[in-house]
Amino acid sequence: MQELLNTLTLGSIYLLFALGMALAWSTIGILNFAHGAIFVFSAFSAHIISEHVALSMPVLILISVLVGAAMSALTQWLAFEQILKRSTNHRSAEMRVLIGGIGVAAIPIAIVDKATASAPFGFANSTYKTEVYESMGLRMTNTSLIVIITGVGIAVALTLWLRASRRGLGLRAIGVDSETASLMGVNRTAMALGTMAIAGGLAGLAGALQVFQLQAMGVATGDQLLIKAFAMIVLGGLGSMAGVIFGAFALAGAETLIFAAKLGTWVDAVSFGLIFLVLLVRPQGIFGRQEVRRT
Amino acid sequence: MMAWYTANAVVVQATMTTLLLALSIQLPLRVGVFSFAGVGCFGIGGYTAAILYTKFDVDTWPAVALGTLLAGGLCYLLGLIIHKLSGLYLGMATIAFSLIVAVAATNGGSLTGGASGIFGALGGITNLHVLLLLALVVAGLAISEYGRFGRMIDTVREDPELAAALGINVGRYRKLTFLASGLIGGLAGAVTTLLRSTITPAEVNFHMVVVALTVIIIGGSSSWLGALIGAIVITWLPTVLSFVADWESIIYGFLVALAAIFLPGGVLGLAKDLIHRWRARRRPTPPAPPASEAEKIPGGEPSSPATERSLASTQGGTS
Repeated sequence: MQELLNTLTLGSIYLLFALGMALAWSTIGILNFAHGAIFVFSAFSAHIISEHVALSMPVLILISVLVGAAMSALTQWLAFEQILKRSTNHRSAEMRVLIGGIGVAAIPIAIVDKATASAPFGFANSTYKTEVYESMGLRMTNTSLIVIITGVGIAVALTLWLRASRRGLGLRAIGVDSETASLMGVNRTAMALGTMAIAGGLAGLAGALQVFQLQAMGVATGDQLLIKAFAMIVLGGLGSMAGVIFGAFALAGAETLIFAAKLGTWVDAVSFGLIFLVLLVRPQGIFGRQEVRRT
Repeated sequence: MMAWYTANAVVVQATMTTLLLALSIQLPLRVGVFSFAGVGCFGIGGYTAAILYTKFDVDTWPAVALGTLLAGGLCYLLGLIIHKLSGLYLGMATIAFSLIVAVAATNGGSLTGGASGIFGALGGITNLHVLLLLALVVAGLAISEYGRFGRMIDTVREDPELAAALGINVGRYRKLTFLASGLIGGLAGAVTTLLRSTITPAEVNFHMVVVALTVIIIGGSSSWLGALIGAIVITWLPTVLSFVADWESIIYGFLVALAAIFLPGGVLGLAKDLIHRWRARRRPTPPAPPASEAEKIPGGEPSSPATERSLASTQGGTS
């Protein structure tokens, strides 16, 4: 039972992180490799501010979300949009966006690394206090309760929004055929900017919650999470939000089991192996309908 | 000259090993296979050579050869499994492969030395040996860039369907690319490890992918010359400008992002472009240019004039 609770908490943070990445990738076709760096840097910004003023949890989260959204939108505007404008075909654009993202990611990561001297950082000065509830042999903190409610709530809300709202329809239309969508009056550039801002905000939210949950965050967390998120999206199937939810909790469950079996050093192999296995056996993922392009 | 060399022997060595690693990533990119498996092969080659050398008393060169061959063989097997994936999926699958190598090395117990890696594997390799090996690899790659073979590779990259229609066995080329990339990556790993005497799992991580990519993107991905330019830039820039050493990662990040946006051909592509433009200005009206010459004049496609030309000639040659 305790394992299930841990899975839910871990999975919710994974989910928040992967949702943003999946949203941008499946609609505007941008796999943002700076997503992990945004996650780390927005939590770090909140950490810097909390060193000077004692702030409450919602304020810290808000700072992190805003920083993440701003960074992500800036990356889209200054880097990805420029690359798309200058590329001749889809394949080379995809590759250049990936490489550009790796380049952009190096900058905030290097800044955090230098500022913290590679040591983990946290919100030591926050007014938030962790409380532990125990009942029927189960241990649960108020933080993990908040994490689970936020994660599941936002995932469900985003899925419904994408399915039912007019903007969600426009966004999905871009994902199917951006040229036709713009002929139908969807403003691709503005939509892309907005989508990236939402994705970045979700990364910031995940970052702040991760720091509250684990008390600290290391600089390398972003890169690991990025590859894990890729595994989740591929497992669930690109283009399916329900797939991302499934992927996040499945990966979290597998990792929790590995930790419970005292094989902690193998934990990263799960996500890497999963990427492999899914791409070979069922490249469209469990919930995906889209066929992976193959040449 | 000699005094300069003795003062900078370490940097020269770093340039050569970085170049080897970069070449193992660049070759697949040139064939249109988005593979980062070279980094994993660096780990396989390095670990194999170090284990053989320290634990089984194998001599330096047999250890290097076995490390190289094992990495090449494993990378070929990987290629057999995943060569049908394309684009981002292939890229991520190969990154996952490279990181699995690191996880396996961490959990290898006394054989791989766990998280602290292997120490004391100082083989008898000199800079001259590295230079000769590098010359061999570069010669092989240079041959693959010119003439009929070079044009075939360009076609496989730019338009696999066209290549298949022209009778080129695209699948076989893609698989062989994995073999060659694995061999070069394994060689880079084995040589680097026996030169520096240590290898740790922490080296075979995402950062190494970024370094190799930086070299290729700054220099240019179309030719080994681009990788050479990139390797020289990133190993010598910190020694020439001291502020670069402090802000290394940030500056490289900026350079990679800028190159990805504005210079998809890297420094080499820029230089080629400028030379074409300069030539075109010297001969404003070439007297009745032949069909292949007309393509050389830039204007329509500044990013890839070279590939267009080669595509045109491949089509012309076979029809």
